[in-house]
Amino acid sequence: MRLFQQIRPAPFDKLKAEPSPAEIPRALPMPLLRLDNVTKHYRADNQDVVALDAVTLDAEPGEFLSIVGRSGCGKTTLLNLAGAMDFPSAGSVHINGVVTSGLADAELTAIRRKYVGFVFQFFQLLPTLSVRENVELPLLLAGQTANTQQAIERLEWVEMADYAKRLPHQLSGGQMQRVAIARALVHSPKLLLADEPIGNLDSTSAEIVMNLLRRTADELKTTILMATHSQEAARITDRIVALRDGRIEEIRRP
Amino acid sequence: MTAALTLFIRLIVRPLGREPGRTALTIFAIALGVAVVVAIHLAGTAATGSFQSSLETLTGDADLEISTVGGLDDALLASLQALPYPVRFSPRIEGFAMIEPQKVSIPVFGFDLIGDRSLESMAPPKSFDLDSLTRHDIIWAGSGVASEKGQQLRLTINDQTATYTVGGILETTSSQGAPRPNFIVMDIAAAQKAFSKQGRLDSIEVFLPERDDRRRNDRDWEALISAALPAGVTLKPKGSRTTENRTMMSAFRWNIQVLSYISLVVGAFLIYNTIAISVVRRRGEIGVMRALGAGRAAVTLAFLAEAAFLGAMGTALGLLLGRIMANGTVEMLAATVRSLYVSSTPGEILFTPDVVVVAVVSGMGVSLLAALAPASEAARVPPSEAMARGRHETAARLATGRRLIYAGLLAVASWGAAQLEPIGGMPLFGYLSALLIIAAAACATPAIVDRLAQWLSPVLRAAFGAQGILAPRSLSASLARTSVLVAALSTAVAMLVSVAIMVGSYRDTVIVWLNERLQADFYIQAAGQREARQYPTIDPAIADRIEALPEVQAVDRFRGYPVYYNGRPSILGAGQSEVLSRLGNLGFLDGSPPQQVLAKLGSSDHVIITETFANHHRLNVGDTLQLPLGGQLVDLAIIGIYYDYSSEGGAAIVDRKTMLKYLSDPSPSNLAIYLADGANPESARAAIENATSGFSVTLADHRTLRERALVVFDRTFTITYALEVIAILVAILGMAGALVALVIDRRRELGVLRFLGASAGQIRQLILFESGLIGLFSNTIGLALGTVLSLILIFVVNKQSFGWTIQFHWPIALLLGALTLIYVAAILAGIYPARVAVRLNPIEVVHEE
Ligand SMILES: Nc1ncnc2c1ncn2[C@@H]1O[C@H](COP(=O)(O)OP(=O)(O)OP(=O)(O)O)[C@@H](O)[C@H]1O
Ligand SMILES: [Mg+2]
Repeated sequence: MRLFQQIRPAPFDKLKAEPSPAEIPRALPMPLLRLDNVTKHYRADNQDVVALDAVTLDAEPGEFLSIVGRSGCGKTTLLNLAGAMDFPSAGSVHINGVVTSGLADAELTAIRRKYVGFVFQFFQLLPTLSVRENVELPLLLAGQTANTQQAIERLEWVEMADYAKRLPHQLSGGQMQRVAIARALVHSPKLLLADEPIGNLDSTSAEIVMNLLRRTADELKTTILMATHSQEAARITDRIVALRDGRIEEIRRP
Repeated sequence: MTAALTLFIRLIVRPLGREPGRTALTIFAIALGVAVVVAIHLAGTAATGSFQSSLETLTGDADLEISTVGGLDDALLASLQALPYPVRFSPRIEGFAMIEPQKVSIPVFGFDLIGDRSLESMAPPKSFDLDSLTRHDIIWAGSGVASEKGQQLRLTINDQTATYTVGGILETTSSQGAPRPNFIVMDIAAAQKAFSKQGRLDSIEVFLPERDDRRRNDRDWEALISAALPAGVTLKPKGSRTTENRTMMSAFRWNIQVLSYISLVVGAFLIYNTIAISVVRRRGEIGVMRALGAGRAAVTLAFLAEAAFLGAMGTALGLLLGRIMANGTVEMLAATVRSLYVSSTPGEILFTPDVVVVAVVSGMGVSLLAALAPASEAARVPPSEAMARGRHETAARLATGRRLIYAGLLAVASWGAAQLEPIGGMPLFGYLSALLIIAAAACATPAIVDRLAQWLSPVLRAAFGAQGILAPRSLSASLARTSVLVAALSTAVAMLVSVAIMVGSYRDTVIVWLNERLQADFYIQAAGQREARQYPTIDPAIADRIEALPEVQAVDRFRGYPVYYNGRPSILGAGQSEVLSRLGNLGFLDGSPPQQVLAKLGSSDHVIITETFANHHRLNVGDTLQLPLGGQLVDLAIIGIYYDYSSEGGAAIVDRKTMLKYLSDPSPSNLAIYLADGANPESARAAIENATSGFSVTLADHRTLRERALVVFDRTFTITYALEVIAILVAILGMAGALVALVIDRRRELGVLRFLGASAGQIRQLILFESGLIGLFSNTIGLALGTVLSLILIFVVNKQSFGWTIQFHWPIALLLGALTLIYVAAILAGIYPARVAVRLNPIEVVHEE
């Protein structure tokens, strides 16, 4: 049984009224992200899979962490837990001091809207929306109305403002990923979670995207967790977290 | 073949099982479509097939029947029986009695119980003792009416209510399952008295000698007997009346049968959509199969098999459901048949093989036809598609422009078909025209949906934010699919709208006509029987007594006779044109003032006919109408055609003086009473009631009569509305199923939205928005298409099959209500897909590749 499905569904009226950030439980003095002894089990075909095993990790504002390890070692699982998309089976995840476990869907949504941005390996731009509209989307979902300016600013930040009117299928992979980064940053989240952001890019595009992420951490003071298979990419991050079979093997500086 | 089977299992059966909810919705939608066809077929046969049964099972098969308008003279029987032929002649009186106090009406037959062997097929054929035969209050009752000998029954026949004693119970000896005989038999003399037909017979049945007497064939006999008959008396093969009644009702049955297919047409869109979805989803797999050596035929077969599978399940369920629905439908149809056409009791619902054939042909046929296009598209998927990973339907843009051209061509063809004449009285080209315009609308739908979505986008975005921008976008993005849904729902909406406009216009026309027509203050008719084409008579003395009342200014004595003209059952009526022209009203087609025409009516052998009568028989003012009256053929000059909405068969009306010249019976069947100026209606009513005491008659004022007419009217169309509502239901069910598929196919996008900060509520709203937009688009297109369809229904189909002039009129309140309900229903159809969307696990759907 997957934990995500056990979340008690919030009543319809409660979901309609989106919680304001004020409703999110008070933050304690703590690092932006703390994983405390986090374990994650999956059940598949009546077998217990331990995707993460007693992982403890802190990340400070502006810190750029890369997570490396073989396929299936738990990188994606870790990012999802850190982004309040899922609950740990044991241990706790603190985002800006708030423990995610036991929160209702509306509260998790509010956390994501305020603190978290996601970047995916396959870009995941919405094909029916233009570049600008894609970038605006998180703001729209959060109920903000006057948002075009903010979107354009973010597109300028990733140097894609000239493409604002295009549809995603009219862009190259590298351009799509830059748009995706603008989208993930449009609401100025404190935490950016990137799952193999350069996994589908050629080396030139990859370099552009990596420099962009580096700049994001340095200039916007955004904490970044990036899962990657690329040693080269890991080298420009602040710390490298090596996972093996769901455990932290070592944390090293590049 | 084995390749196709493997493909079928791998590509079709397994995926269907993986989405049981959607599969069930699709099957149920087809089942409903089939069920409606089955139910109408079964109920239609049961409701209209029975009027021949009771007498025919009772008397065995007479070969010929002699009859004439107003009845035959008793003396004719004697002269026929004196002929030196081995032919048996058997007299008949036919009518209806109302059982009191239940007010159930049943057929009554008068037989020559002494001389006749007709009743021998009944058990027990107990000898009728002479004693009871001479008494006029003895009846023999079918076992469906009474249970034991000696039982007392109170019966109203014409304007008299009296107590009768059951002299014996009649039971059919035929098969076990047959319905119990539901009629009364009297001796001929008693029947003549009860129906005030002294000295007259309704018909004489003719039994020819056994067939092995080959010296003369039936035709020779017919010629021999005809020669012995006076002019104006007709000799017809027995059963031709049944055939004529059938023919008369065929337009009614046809129209209702055609309406019952609407749900199937809607179902066809849904099957098309289902198969198209499954082809789009499995392009990759099809490519792999093709690369591995599967032939095109195998691929086509596999997808046709999916349609056949869904069709078969739907047909089986539909047969069951239809049988159940038929129970509720029979009485509704029978009531309509009784009030509009002929008296009959509904027969049994018989589940004959032809119903199964109809169900299978319609259910499976529609499924396979609808699947043809997507299945052959599947066959065109090249093996190279196996390599094209992750290609999405969004890439495949529809050629909306080309479709618009098709739509234009179809619309022109539809207009052309509407101009053509009916075939054999059936408005076949009218139906074709309707079908073509529906097809035209379906072709135009993608372009309209796309355009509407674009226009609405900014408005929705401003009003609703993210969901407002996403919903119309994803509808245009999956235009191929959404437009099929919109086409299905808008077809159903259009049919509802068109029928609502047609019926509403018709109803308004009838109300105006009733108000104009019902000018008298009170109306009287015999209490005996109130069904179509039955004119039980009342004592002429009643009319004289009422006319003598100081409160009464005039009485119009009307007498109706059921007649067959050119094989069509219609009505011959006689009224007092002098009274009608002075106090009443009648609208003539050519706008002539009624006073002028009616003044001429009484002056000579003139006749006025109804619009329907004129249309059916293609008659005009100035033509001659030849009718058999009282032993001679009378030529009547047509001097006017008037609007009338009271019977489908139509009527020909002469003046009472003309009628009495040829037919001696002075008994009227209906009285219209005009009060003197200033008379108090209440005291007038009391005086009239007093004047009719001792007679069983019903007295009604014009308002009651009008209300009664509208009750009959509304009952007639209840079933029509029921059919439309079911079609909408089918569309909504299918839409729910298709939206589930749309959700499943967009699951990754929905998952991404959750990552980007969408709440579960927002995802739900998004899907509900989409279903709401589909409802809105469908209503828009449906309203426009429905208006066009209503024009076809009113001015082509109705005109050709019934011949009525209907004034176009919008039933605005009804339409607004219906469209609102449909819109709400469309949103409700989104609830289940929205649930599916909310339950998707975003982590899984985003990372599956
Ligand atoms: N929904 C799930 N149900 C069952 N097992 C799962 C589920 N999601 C992940 N797992 C298992 O958990 C383990 C960790 O998976 P995860 O996706 O985190 O690995 P990963 O490091 O991201 O691998 P990759 O580099 O291939 O993306 C794997 O063994 C995987 O099979
Ligand atoms: Mg991964």
